[in-house]
Amino acid sequence: MKNQHSLSLITVSMMSALLVGCGGDAETTIIEREPIVEAPSDPGHGGGGSGDFLIESQGRLAVSSLESNTLSLLDIDDGSLLDNFALQFDGTRIATSADSRYAVLVARNFDTVEFLDGGLWREDHVDHLHDYEEAPEMSDFVLTGSRPTHVSADGNHLAVFYDGDSEAGIPAAVHVVSNSDIVAENDPATLEYSVNMHGVAKPKGEFVLSTIRRDDAESTSNTKILPDQVGIYHNHDGELELEQVLDLTCPDLHGAAVNHEFVAFGCGDGVLVTHQHDGEEFEAAKIDNVAEIEGTRVGTLYGHEDSEIFVGVASSRSTGVTTVLTVHPEDNEMEVLDWQPLENAVPVAYSFSFDGAHFVILDSQGYLTLLAMEQHDGHTHLEFEGRLDITELDVADMPEGASFRMAASKNDNHVYVADPMAQHILQIDLESLSIEGDMELDFIPASLVWLGIAAEEEHDHDHD
Amino acid sequence: MKKKTRIAALVCAGLSPCVMAQSIEGTVLTQSGKPLVGASVELEGSNIATKTDENGKFVFSNVRQGNNEIHISAEGFSHLHEDVQISGSQSVTRTFTASRSPIEVIDVTASPIHLSSMESAMPVSVLGGERLRRQQSATLGDSLEKLAGVHSSFHAKVASTPVIRGLSGPRVLITQNGLDVSDVSRVGPDHAVAGEAATAQQIEVLRGPSTLFYGSGAIGGVVNIVDTRVPTNGDTQGEWLVEHSSVDDQKLASFNATSGVGSFAFYADGFVRDSNDYEVPVAPELAHDDHHHEDEHEHDETHDESGDFTVGNSSEESNGFTLGTSYLFEQGYVGVSVEQFNREYGIPGHSHGDEEGHDHGHDHGDETEGESGHGGDVFADLEQTRVQLLSEMRFDDSILAGINVRAGFTDYEHAEIEGGVAGTTFENTTYELRLELLHQPFMDFNGGISFHYKNSDVAAEGSEAFTPPSETEMFAVAVMEERHFGDVLLQLGGRIERVTMNADRLLLPMLDAHPHDDEHGDEGHDHDHDHDHDHGGDGSITRTFFADHEFTPVSLSIGAVWDFMPGYNAAVSFSRSQRAPSASELLSFGPHIGTRSYEIGALFALEDHNGESEIGLTDEIIDLETANNIDLTLRKTQEDVGFIFNVFYNEVDNYYYQTNTGLFADDGHNHGGDDGHDHGGHDHGDDGHDDHSGELPVYIFQTDDVVLHGFEAQVAWQVTDEFNATFFSDLVRARLKDGGDLPRTPPVRFGTQFSYENNRISAHLDITRYQSQDKIADFETETDGYTLVDLAVSYDLPVWNNALSVYLNARNLTDTEARVHTSFLKDIAPRPGRNFSIGLKGYF
Repeated sequence: MKNQHSLSLITVSMMSALLVGCGGDAETTIIEREPIVEAPSDPGHGGGGSGDFLIESQGRLAVSSLESNTLSLLDIDDGSLLDNFALQFDGTRIATSADSRYAVLVARNFDTVEFLDGGLWREDHVDHLHDYEEAPEMSDFVLTGSRPTHVSADGNHLAVFYDGDSEAGIPAAVHVVSNSDIVAENDPATLEYSVNMHGVAKPKGEFVLSTIRRDDAESTSNTKILPDQVGIYHNHDGELELEQVLDLTCPDLHGAAVNHEFVAFGCGDGVLVTHQHDGEEFEAAKIDNVAEIEGTRVGTLYGHEDSEIFVGVASSRSTGVTTVLTVHPEDNEMEVLDWQPLENAVPVAYSFSFDGAHFVILDSQGYLTLLAMEQHDGHTHLEFEGRLDITELDVADMPEGASFRMAASKNDNHVYVADPMAQHILQIDLESLSIEGDMELDFIPASLVWLGIAAEEEHDHDHD
Repeated sequence: MKKKTRIAALVCAGLSPCVMAQSIEGTVLTQSGKPLVGASVELEGSNIATKTDENGKFVFSNVRQGNNEIHISAEGFSHLHEDVQISGSQSVTRTFTASRSPIEVIDVTASPIHLSSMESAMPVSVLGGERLRRQQSATLGDSLEKLAGVHSSFHAKVASTPVIRGLSGPRVLITQNGLDVSDVSRVGPDHAVAGEAATAQQIEVLRGPSTLFYGSGAIGGVVNIVDTRVPTNGDTQGEWLVEHSSVDDQKLASFNATSGVGSFAFYADGFVRDSNDYEVPVAPELAHDDHHHEDEHEHDETHDESGDFTVGNSSEESNGFTLGTSYLFEQGYVGVSVEQFNREYGIPGHSHGDEEGHDHGHDHGDETEGESGHGGDVFADLEQTRVQLLSEMRFDDSILAGINVRAGFTDYEHAEIEGGVAGTTFENTTYELRLELLHQPFMDFNGGISFHYKNSDVAAEGSEAFTPPSETEMFAVAVMEERHFGDVLLQLGGRIERVTMNADRLLLPMLDAHPHDDEHGDEGHDHDHDHDHDHGGDGSITRTFFADHEFTPVSLSIGAVWDFMPGYNAAVSFSRSQRAPSASELLSFGPHIGTRSYEIGALFALEDHNGESEIGLTDEIIDLETANNIDLTLRKTQEDVGFIFNVFYNEVDNYYYQTNTGLFADDGHNHGGDDGHDHGGHDHGDDGHDDHSGELPVYIFQTDDVVLHGFEAQVAWQVTDEFNATFFSDLVRARLKDGGDLPRTPPVRFGTQFSYENNRISAHLDITRYQSQDKIADFETETDGYTLVDLAVSYDLPVWNNALSVYLNARNLTDTEARVHTSFLKDIAPRPGRNFSIGLKGYF
């Protein structure tokens, strides 16, 4: 071999001489794209996955029809119609489960809450997160109770408040189900009252804050069906056990919201805010109503996990004036929010953006007003940032009983506005405040919710 | 061919642009003076060809003036080239003497220049006829492994592919009738080749750089499976075979047939094969302290009561059929064929242990039973549809002598099924077109120009989709020419290619790779649990990229064959070949269970940040791989003793290969049997049965300069007309220039083949010695040598004009333990034990 070897070397150099200058070319172009961000689902775990199990999807929309009991499931990624579902009951309202996987179908007058699996969900397989994308389908899981009315969710739990029926002598009740309870069709944790009320229950970690209606003689409420107290219930193993009743009353309680620390309730005399003090008892404070809303009160509240402030809405039935306010639990302060409404503009829908950095107000004139969280001297404000005209049509032509509706994505900076006049849904990017696309409908939309795999950040605080 | 020629000659007479009063009358005789019947006679550079009659005679009328080159070939004889000078309108009568060749010589089909084991500048082997039927196996690698310079990657008998001079994978191109087989066998050793030897006519092997003919994928060689699916004549003929083998209870039936009506010819073939797990003489798992493999075999061996061992999950089931038709006309033929190929095979060693990882979708409570019984067995289910359009036309045009067209479409899909669920799916859709324009002899050069286009869309989906989807497009122009200068045949060619490869979604995940601190001692692999849960709360970010590549490989080759004395020739061939790296070599990032490694492509590199290893984009320039190869061949082509000696020296610059980073990463779909993973509420029935899997060593592609050199030798002695003795040997050394050896390099091999053939009986005794291999890469272990003894006996039954024979093939007669160094599975899947195959075959 040695001889051959050296011989070969000689010939190779000959060959190189012959063939030199005939080298080929190679060119590589690499352009970086948006990265795929996979947040951990649970501190202490996660990471490590190669991303194979994640699905990139903008999510789906469940849109109900004004004219028929049909719920349409749309795929936002390609605008296609995935399926139509016939709703069993008239007047069904739509909410979403805590993880945005299910559309929660609340048929108040038929004492029934149904669940429709949107088909997009994420599971925590401990060493990686695993996403699933399936066809939407009705779940067999059904909750029943008298007059289910308010439905609210935190990151992991959904609470349904049943008002009960005084005429039939049925008291109020609460059902609390976790995300996995819905999947496994487990029985809900139940709280039963002895009297009916128009109340609300808010899940907050391992607790549920739910309203209490006292005897009419004791109640500070003017409208006695509205409760005036808040109870702290501990949720363990399917039982809701009353641990504490807040001393501070909340007459004519209506409306509630949660952020990572506080739970706020709208009262006739202000906003009650409460939080758990050093992991022990809940302590409460009342933020008095500002003078601007004299004669009315905050009856609706919006909160976001990552937003320090709540947004409250006070509307007067007599004057028809709607005032939007910001509520600062840390500073014990309430302020009127100047969202610079145009003439005749009445808010019809409100929402935080998915990350809590913006708040949007959709009004009756077809404008979307974008407000940004701003910090000034350690104080958070919402400031007017811009406005988008979402329709070229005359709002006077709005079909009867319809109005603009909005749903915010929980995994990106889009909101979806249903326009009953144009019969389409607009995809609006909040960052650029522009319309990015539309999905045509062949029906007049009544309402819509977003379903999909929520970005994980908003739940980070749950495990504190 | 015969028919076509006669017609062509007539047409030529009719058209007659050339002066055609001349003719050549020849007689072909053997050395003992007997007429050689049925020898093929061709006039080079023309479409004129015929066969000799019962007196060994042939006539070419209307040949052109000047030099006419006659090429005569017949089975068992060496090929004969002779020049016949014709001046004026004369008729020439000549006698040609054909010499016996103890080495079988078959031409490579469809090449603009001559390629055969005896005549070309570059080394070529062709396996055809009876020898192919004798050596054919379920896989292409095992079918070809007795050819000098060719080894099998022996992947437990189910997915073996050829290793040519130590190279395989993306460096050896597998083609079917000259068109890429377009499967995914080049990507993973556990992926079978979508081609079948049982229905093939011949299998051609080009050893060494062949990019000139086939482009980038052929830098190490080419294997071309040839059949007559597009028939070139309408004669009714065919063969069939049924066989049973003992070692794996294999049943095989195959046939191919051609027929014709008028100007139309028809072809059909089909095969069915079904085998069980194969028996081995020893426990399949090698009991040495190699920890790379320890975790995989829970299911790979069974030891039944009789004391026989089998390699678990090595069964195979395949079937396929091909239909073809062609239209024959004066100048040639054009035809199409459709093939459907299906194959299902177990992948030994490809077990993922805890299968529960894939059960999480079943949360609705209706599927909790029956999932855990599958254990870790994985099997592959591949399906391919192949459409080929082939045409060859010859003209008497003043410039153009012929056109060859080959066009193909293949749709390939391959699913790896684990516990009844498709874990990973590979797809390959390829369009290919080759157009060859052959010119009339020009300054006595024969040859042509070839245009070649290929578009492959390859995607993989699932847990093992370690390479992102990519589309590769290739366009090439090549020129190949040859010319006789007296005793010297000069062959040369050049090819320029443009290869673009686009991937829209190249992924760079944050890899949780870590070294294993514990020594590879007894406790083996408990690392799993140390690392799984300590990543803190950081999210992971997967960077994504568009990656576009454009390569312009250039290949040049020049060679000469010198008939320095009668019956001898010496050949030399130089080539400089370039190859664009393949998608998997550049873009991979993920676990590849087939190689039991976490593979990372050359676009990435390992960086060191404060002692922490991190994978980022490479700073290196992604360049072509360039092979500078020289081949020297000495042959004795005639008389009772013949030989072929090849030596080669191949310097490959910028050789893409994988190196072990010393890190380990999660295999992406194993949950280590931890109870905390029980999402769906159902039991993990076999928890803990395979705690250690889930960790794979991380290999990254990098480039280095490599030298491959070695030899192949064959000596054949035709002792009597009946008895032939052949000796062969081959060796390849594959090493890094800066020191170190490449992995899975075949060991030195030598062997003898004795054959006895008379009118009725043929018997072949092959004894092959594989030496031990101790030239190993860092992470490899040495492999012991072994000797295989095979015997084949065939008897022609005295019925149907001797067209029916019964045969017995015995392989590994001594029932020896044989572990194949070129195999990824050498430690868990040795070669089959003693096997007897008995069969019946017929011709018509």
